[in-house]
Amino acid sequence: MNRTRFATLMLVPVAAASLSGCGVNSIPTAEENAKAKWADVQAAYQRRANLIPNLVATVKGAATSEQNILVGVTEARANATRVTLSGDQIGDPAAMARFAAAQNQVTLSLQRLQEAYPQLQSQGNFKTLMDQLEGTENRINIGIRDYNQAVQSYNTTIRTFPAVIGAKVFYGAKPMAPYQATTPNAEVAPTVSFDTNTSR
Amino acid sequence: MAAARFLAAALLLLAAGGCGRGQPAAAAAAEPSFPVLTGRVVDRADLLAPGDEAKLTQASAAVERETGHQFVVVTLASLDGYKIEDYAVRLGRHWGIGRKGVDDGVILIVAPRERKVRIEVGYGLEKRVTDPFAAKVIRERMVPAFQKGHLAEGIVAGSDAVVDRLRSKASDAQIRALDGVVT
Repeated sequence: MNRTRFATLMLVPVAAASLSGCGVNSIPTAEENAKAKWADVQAAYQRRANLIPNLVATVKGAATSEQNILVGVTEARANATRVTLSGDQIGDPAAMARFAAAQNQVTLSLQRLQEAYPQLQSQGNFKTLMDQLEGTENRINIGIRDYNQAVQSYNTTIRTFPAVIGAKVFYGAKPMAPYQATTPNAEVAPTVSFDTNTSR
Repeated sequence: MAAARFLAAALLLLAAGGCGRGQPAAAAAAEPSFPVLTGRVVDRADLLAPGDEAKLTQASAAVERETGHQFVVVTLASLDGYKIEDYAVRLGRHWGIGRKGVDDGVILIVAPRERKVRIEVGYGLEKRVTDPFAAKVIRERMVPAFQKGHLAEGIVAGSDAVVDRLRSKASDAQIRALDGVVT
């Protein structure tokens, strides 16, 4: 009898430790992991943004440039730079969609740029920049996949026993949104001004 | 008494309840069937003569001794329908090439069936083996030999270039300038 009670008493701290060890603490851990992965995605997009001015300058210097396409790239970049997303907004699907749409315009404008200047493909400087662009796009893809996996893991954690108790009681944890690089209306032309007289 | 026993059982269940580490099975998305990491050269497509393999293995071992960076050469019978960029990252992670926390591994991966080649670099080595450098090695040292059907020659030439770069004493800034790195 006494022994049973003793055993019960012993189990309370064990269970508490186990709860805090995985059940409760696993939520902020999973959340921080997803945020860190999101930071990687943004860093990769930032690297792409940093490349663009050099790319535009190279094209301008090397070819009778098609003004529209260059302006399109520059404006898409400027627009995407304005649409930022903090770690706290990553649960917000609408904010994620806005961010993705802006970045997607950059992707599309860069594709147009590549298609418009086939003669530049063999030019050394341009090639070096395109190699870096390709590498950056690849890092973006890896970053998105890692982030989405982290989100999936977090979302599962907050719904799975025993963490679900902590999720409801302590954190009010809400599911996070995965990132979709291609938005449903991705093929729609960008709403950028091609009017070169406006200084925006 | 019965209540106490029930409580004990419930607590025990909680204590033992597989917490895992927030790593549900669902997170392990479909992966290609990776070859086994049998050595520093994994020649699954059988492109390399024993002499080449020995030479590459030796170079990889020497560069790891000197710099700590791990360099693995792999040829594949098939990419299992994956893009080589995708396959290479997954393979590097699966094998755990490069030191933990440093992420300084490099894989040179050749898939003759799909006619693809890639130099995959861990995050920790991006400033040494840069994107333009890797692209240039493939374009100028490997592809010309491949086009002549000299696969082993191309692989050895590409490996030599990577190993030289891993050994380079140049600063990150010098390499940036040399490779024309912007980001």
